[in-house]
Amino acid sequence: MHTFSYVKAKSVKEAGDLLAQHVDAKLLSGGMTLIPTMKARLAQSSHVIDIAGLSELAGIEVKDGKLSIGAATKHVDVSRSAVVKKAIPALAYLAGLIGDPQVRNRGTIGGSLANNDPAADYPSAALALNATIVTNKREIEADDYFQGLFQTALDAGEMIVKVVFPVPAKAAYEKFPHPASGYAMAGAFVAQNGKDVRVAITGAGPGVFRWKEAEAALGKKLAAASVEGLNVDASNMNEDMHGTKEYRANLAKVMTKRAVAKLGGK
Amino acid sequence: MDTHEHHQLFNVGGAKVSRFEDIRLITGAGKYASDWNQPNQLHACFLRADRAHARIVSLNLDAAKRAKSVVSIYTGEDAQAAGYLRAPSFLPATGKGGKKPNVPQRPCLAIGKVCFVGDPVAMVVAESHLAAQDACELIEVVYEDLPAVVDPEEALKPGAPQLHDDVPGNCPMEAESGNEAATMQAIANAAHVVKLTVDCTRVTASPMEPRAALIEYKSETDSYVVHTPSQGVNMTRKQFGIYTQLPEEKFRVEIQDIGGGFGQRSTVYPEYVSMMIAAKALNRPIKWVSTRTESFLTDTHGRGNLITCTLALDNDARFTALRVDWITDQGAYLSPTGPAGHIRNATSCLNGVYKIPALYADFKVVLTNTGWVAAYRGAGRPDIAYAIERVVDAAAMELKMDPADLRRRNYVPLTEYPYKSATGNTIEIADLPGLSAKALNLADWSGFAVRKAASAKKGKLRGIGMSTVIEPTGAGQYPRDEIDISVDGASGDIIVHTVSQSQGQGHVTSFAMVVGNALGIPAERVKIIQGDPERAPKMVGNHSGGSRTMVGAGTVCHIAANKLIDAGKSLAAEDLGVEPSQVNYCKGEFSSPHSKKKITLAQLASSKKLAVTGEGTFTSTYPNGCHIAEVEVDPDTGVTDIVSYMSVDDCGHVVSHTIVEGQMHGAVLQGYGQVFGEHIVYDKDSGQMITGSFMDYVMPRAGQLPDIHMEEYTIYSKLGPLGIKGMGESGCTASLPALVAAVTNAIGVKHLDMPLTPSKVWKTLQANKA
Repeated sequence: MHTFSYVKAKSVKEAGDLLAQHVDAKLLSGGMTLIPTMKARLAQSSHVIDIAGLSELAGIEVKDGKLSIGAATKHVDVSRSAVVKKAIPALAYLAGLIGDPQVRNRGTIGGSLANNDPAADYPSAALALNATIVTNKREIEADDYFQGLFQTALDAGEMIVKVVFPVPAKAAYEKFPHPASGYAMAGAFVAQNGKDVRVAITGAGPGVFRWKEAEAALGKKLAAASVEGLNVDASNMNEDMHGTKEYRANLAKVMTKRAVAKLGGK
Repeated sequence: MDTHEHHQLFNVGGAKVSRFEDIRLITGAGKYASDWNQPNQLHACFLRADRAHARIVSLNLDAAKRAKSVVSIYTGEDAQAAGYLRAPSFLPATGKGGKKPNVPQRPCLAIGKVCFVGDPVAMVVAESHLAAQDACELIEVVYEDLPAVVDPEEALKPGAPQLHDDVPGNCPMEAESGNEAATMQAIANAAHVVKLTVDCTRVTASPMEPRAALIEYKSETDSYVVHTPSQGVNMTRKQFGIYTQLPEEKFRVEIQDIGGGFGQRSTVYPEYVSMMIAAKALNRPIKWVSTRTESFLTDTHGRGNLITCTLALDNDARFTALRVDWITDQGAYLSPTGPAGHIRNATSCLNGVYKIPALYADFKVVLTNTGWVAAYRGAGRPDIAYAIERVVDAAAMELKMDPADLRRRNYVPLTEYPYKSATGNTIEIADLPGLSAKALNLADWSGFAVRKAASAKKGKLRGIGMSTVIEPTGAGQYPRDEIDISVDGASGDIIVHTVSQSQGQGHVTSFAMVVGNALGIPAERVKIIQGDPERAPKMVGNHSGGSRTMVGAGTVCHIAANKLIDAGKSLAAEDLGVEPSQVNYCKGEFSSPHSKKKITLAQLASSKKLAVTGEGTFTSTYPNGCHIAEVEVDPDTGVTDIVSYMSVDDCGHVVSHTIVEGQMHGAVLQGYGQVFGEHIVYDKDSGQMITGSFMDYVMPRAGQLPDIHMEEYTIYSKLGPLGIKGMGESGCTASLPALVAAVTNAIGVKHLDMPLTPSKVWKTLQANKA
């Protein structure tokens, strides 16, 4: 680890100010990506601004048909929350699949979305559920927020405060874990509101994306069979020793079908 | 022939008892290499090659030397000056055609050239670990890149990049065993010939404890104290001596607990020897703890063998000959246990469990621009068993025979043991016909079709696979195993000194059980002291490896305890006022029908010195077994679920069922790991390691295997008084072929190389469809 200055922020405002002041500063929430990167000496941050435990970033509530989750909420708390389980059980289920118990006890929803790892689980939920990312400066729609491999709409000095999910009629998540890392090789989040179906795929491509052909087909009929004749374009998929592009495209489709089946659409 | 002697040698042995060391270890009271510290110690950090093959044009240390807290920096020049240039490697003296091997130089720090990613180029010594790390980044190295070769077959080709000037053709040696002419003749005359090449993939052990060392220099005696994970004090001292050309007496090795061995701790690594240079020059202790990345790059790897089997069969499907062509990838340098272990162990069981009149093997030892390879749980035994069992399955498929029938037809019959194989190896005893019948029955082999149909209804492809294997365990590098045993005069406890060192095997429990049983006292009263830095070097004995410890040191515990009783009788005779021959011993007490007095071991030891050394020499014992795996493959994703796993093993007399079952669980899961995911992969062009972290290296998870149904089929070995056969590695040996057989059976292919990742299985299914 390279040397750095550690600052414990007392408020979102202070954290935002520090972030704006120091170009090479990083926010520390759960640290599940930042700390390993620093230990491997890949990240060289001048300042680490600790925002874990800030009350402004805490809280889970449902209001006006929307589920709001504070950015510093840990995966374990989302997975066990009675509020989340009642409003969007698929989201609680997803949180319970992230990493391992150690990761779930440290990692946070805001950290995951800010990092936008192409194989993270939360981005698929945020995109399929048409969430709003609320920052210290503005509100960003999920469709505008995710911009490919580790890229988001967040500006320098901008930090996520909470995530607001419209509660869908039904939703389901199916994940195929990477055999080594446990990240998603392909994860499909399917959300339904009447004829409006959104399908977000994580892990398979360079960033989370919506599978619009599947959305259209499922909008007509919410059944796994609706997806049968469709194929995810393999040329846009990731490839490594653990899976070819074709394999990942296949997994995206299989996970989508399984998620739809979970929604009751055989 | 009485093969099932159910002696009740061990009253406790039949029961499942907890290991004595477990509470201490799982409550964090263990002391591992990085737990050793000395006041005034310095910290080392190694600058490692970031490329696979290059000449070092220049090294600029100026900025690093000026960095805060840096004390000194060492390079290949210092290795040259110290003369620490040749890592120990125990190769056969001569190879094919009587040729002497060409062993490459391995200086402890690279001199002029790097040969794999991770090769240590410089060692920074600083007041803190962090300062040493920071300074490493300030060293400027100018490299001139050379073409790299990571594939052993490519490395053997003419025109391939050459790693070492002193190893022409990248081939340190070619060895052979068996009779080539007879084998080729039998193949030419065969009714069927089946040929199969299998890749017994390169993996790494990934022990929980990272590699680490604390090296102290003692100026008053010009000697060194070493704390590092090792599989045995004596072997470690011997290797230090070879690497540095210093007498073994110059090394005191102090170790307490070791967090996993697997063969990876059977090497004295160049880092330790480099640290000696600094410890002496600075007269301060030097400490180093490797990162997990360094562990992937520089700890010895395992397996890495490309094996081609040519099996000849007659019209009755009886094996008439087997030819094995073996390419063993040893990485950039030769380790102590790498080539020799693979050649010797494979030769010892070249016939597997089968009666094969003609055998021949050719071994090509190859160097590549990759990390070096050493023993890894079985060291050649799992590799040869895997190759043979795969070619037998391939033959069954080609001849449209039940694999169980083909095996049954070819087992060495019980009546032919001791069996002398065509490579000249004598195998004491095994009853594969009986043992495999028990396993097939347990697994309901004949009822498989019904279960397959049921799986098909759920859309799953079901497969079944078996393996029948045997391997040598017990022989060692040292002429005998010694155990010192004494009775503590104050406490009356039995004190046992061993050379062998547990890396997790539970010697403190199993040795105590043997001694306690022999003396008729509770095992809890027996204190086992392993690898004592003063005592062990004065004893003769083997390190822990090759499944030999219970066979050797464990048996000698029994011999030593009985010798202690005899010595005690002589001493007790004086107190009892009788002749030694009139003294009886029972459950810790000496008595005589001719005396009214009695005297306990403790009482005797309170006034007299009661201490003896037991010894014994053992040749190989041959544990054997049959494992049967049943799997379901999901054709949509290529994921394999293990539906059931049955094992029937003969490891002779079992001292502790708890420990034997634990070894079996671990070994089967280690085999599972290699079959389904573990794989060290290098980029073919750059020579960079692709699997340098657990993000890409697939470690198995405990939950991936269902409960293993384990049964025993015991035939005592008569090679030692306890009837023990080694068993630390046999689970790994049996699981590789059984699991691959089950998956290939499920998806209907003759063979598929490991690792059988979901992606690979799915791709194979897609290709089959097309």
